Amino acid sequence: MGLAKELVEQQVFFRRELSERVGWFIGLRWVAIVFAVLGTWAGHRLELQLAMGPIAVTIGCIAAYNILFSVICRYLRRLSPDQERPFEICAHGQILCDLTALFALVFFTGGFHSPLLLFAVFHIILAGILLEPMYAYVYSGIIVAAMGLLGYLQHVGVITPPIEVFNRPMFIQGHDAGERFLIFAVLATAMLVTAFLVTSIKRSLRVKGRTLLVFCKELDAANAKMNALYTMVKQMAVCADFQELMDAATSGTARIMGVKACSIKLLDEQHRVLRFASTYGLSQDYLARGDIDLDKSPINQKIIDGAFYTIGKIEEKDYFQYPENILKEGIASMICLPLKVEKRVLGVFCVYSEATLSFSDQEVDFFALVTELTALAMQNLKSELNKAWFLQKAAHQLRSPLAAMDTILKVLRKAYVGPLNDRQSEMLLQCERRIESLSNLMQDLLKLGMKRADNGPVAMRPLALEPLVRQLASVFQTEARERKVDLTLSIDPDVPPILGDEKLVDDLFTNLLSNAIKYSPPGKKVTVSLEKEDDGRICLQVADSGIGIPEEQIPRLFTEFFRAENAKAFTGQGTGLGLVIVKEAVDRLRGIIKIESREGRGTRVICRFPPWQPVLKKG
Amino acid sequence: MDKGNDILIIDDDRDLVHSMRIVLESGQYTVRTAYNGKEGYKMIEEKLPDLIILDVMMATDTEGFDLAYKLRNQERYRDVPILMLTAFPQKMAEAGPDKFQHIMGEEWPVTQFMEKPVDPDVLLKTAADLLREA
Repeated sequence: MGLAKELVEQQVFFRRELSERVGWFIGLRWVAIVFAVLGTWAGHRLELQLAMGPIAVTIGCIAAYNILFSVICRYLRRLSPDQERPFEICAHGQILCDLTALFALVFFTGGFHSPLLLFAVFHIILAGILLEPMYAYVYSGIIVAAMGLLGYLQHVGVITPPIEVFNRPMFIQGHDAGERFLIFAVLATAMLVTAFLVTSIKRSLRVKGRTLLVFCKELDAANAKMNALYTMVKQMAVCADFQELMDAATSGTARIMGVKACSIKLLDEQHRVLRFASTYGLSQDYLARGDIDLDKSPINQKIIDGAFYTIGKIEEKDYFQYPENILKEGIASMICLPLKVEKRVLGVFCVYSEATLSFSDQEVDFFALVTELTALAMQNLKSELNKAWFLQKAAHQLRSPLAAMDTILKVLRKAYVGPLNDRQSEMLLQCERRIESLSNLMQDLLKLGMKRADNGPVAMRPLALEPLVRQLASVFQTEARERKVDLTLSIDPDVPPILGDEKLVDDLFTNLLSNAIKYSPPGKKVTVSLEKEDDGRICLQVADSGIGIPEEQIPRLFTEFFRAENAKAFTGQGTGLGLVIVKEAVDRLRGIIKIESREGRGTRVICRFPPWQPVLKKG
Repeated sequence: MDKGNDILIIDDDRDLVHSMRIVLESGQYTVRTAYNGKEGYKMIEEKLPDLIILDVMMATDTEGFDLAYKLRNQERYRDVPILMLTAFPQKMAEAGPDKFQHIMGEEWPVTQFMEKPVDPDVLLKTAADLLREA
């Protein structure tokens, strides 16, 4: 991870601090000015002999440059809030001005003996907080030098403070060099120690701040990784194909873990050979070496046996079948884990890195999690596919003899093998009808089974119901005419599309309409209507004036193999699966279904679907 | 042009083949039968039939299509009409050839589909139509 680079970026954090502190510095100076005025006034009241004129001028100067700095600072903040340099210069300027003003006040209040000299400490502290640690020492050096110079000049009599206010009472009596030097030494030490304390405290705070930033970054990275993993698992869960699933796993893992390459090798049925099933980032040359024989690759054997391996340096290990290929490929370290569900091993999942010893314990743990989830997704898909395959196979096996039987009966009944009397052909016709209903039952069972086996989402897309409903309904016109049922459509051509799949709508509508026609005695009416409701939902209704459904049986209509009593009496045909198929289709289309019926009066089935909302993309 | 009357039925369901033979022979056609794709192909090589009635699923799910595709890719067999038997004619028509593109390219390699179970009257009429068109 480019920690150094990120930290450089994070310096913004500290730069902002500098710009804020410089502003704070200006605010603080106003407070200092107020205290200076108050102090002068107090000194005046105490009848101290102050050089009022120069002091007032100095305070005035401080106020003036403070206004100037406040303007500069505001300007800088607007112009380049994230640049350090201008604020740094501004801070230096302020400290130097302050020190000059301070020494002026010191001079006007008694020179070397003025206790105001102690205020110089503040500037060392400020420099230590605001600037590089070095400057705390630079300024303490400047202060000590200025202090020494002042003491010396005063001692030799080159300069004389206007009034020595603090000369006698505060410090050691007398004006000899030794005493003055002693005062100087004590003050100088205080200044330097202050510089040291401030900078070391600041340094430790900065280190802590940086550590915190690093932790934040790591946490953020881990969170992003987990999110990416979640997305990958979701993607794997909707794959309907093995290859697609494994490719999603290898490319996703390589991306999330930021490694060179990733591979899934699957174990053959004899558990002797590992074959590359999906790879990401590996060259054709590398893959061309072919399958891995477990007898020749002890490491893969061990992985299959349940051990998991992280290999920091490929050249150190001697248990690869093709170590030279691995090195040639530029792989320096890898983690390999068994893909297993409970105790069954499906294969081996590996990530490869170009750097030696590049995987931390956290990364190994993370990869273990990825591997476990991938194995589960694979197992899940496998059982789904098995179910679907079995259903399809079983359906075909069951249908074939039925189709042959039906054909033979028809050939027989239509007298292709010799004449039959009416009684005989009537009985053959009965056989054919029973076979037909058995065949329908199987078709419904298959449909339902396929739907349940196929848990993955259907490819939903915006679907206009109007043409689809018209087309499906037209198929039923012949049947309706034959049964003397009046089939009418009332379709609003401006119905907005829904998000759906044609197959699902077909299953749903075909079943509803065929029921409506089937359970309507001759002369009755079946109406199909499609419209947009006031709340925006799309409503598809199939209403008939047929035999209806006994009220107490309505709740059981969506139960497998259930047929209402009057329906059974009305016709022997019917599997009791039609409405179950309808319900599943409505659910998958995210709609709701409602059945209103009165026995002897008719039935109305109402399906409501949310309209498709186009996702607006900017630009 | 002389109307051909040589029909070859290729289906692994012997009972069904037997019934269809009875029906077609009643229509004065010459009927030959084969019970898998390989055998059928051999009979086509021996003598080119005027119509082939072919089942989709035999030993494999697509054996019928495999054979039809093989025939369509050869100049001398390209024009033989093929009537394909399937339990799901509706489904096939709806799905379009896309689903089977991996085995047969862009177009159905067959002339017409017919639903199983076979109605003998429909079989006779379809066979007559296909032979007339050919």
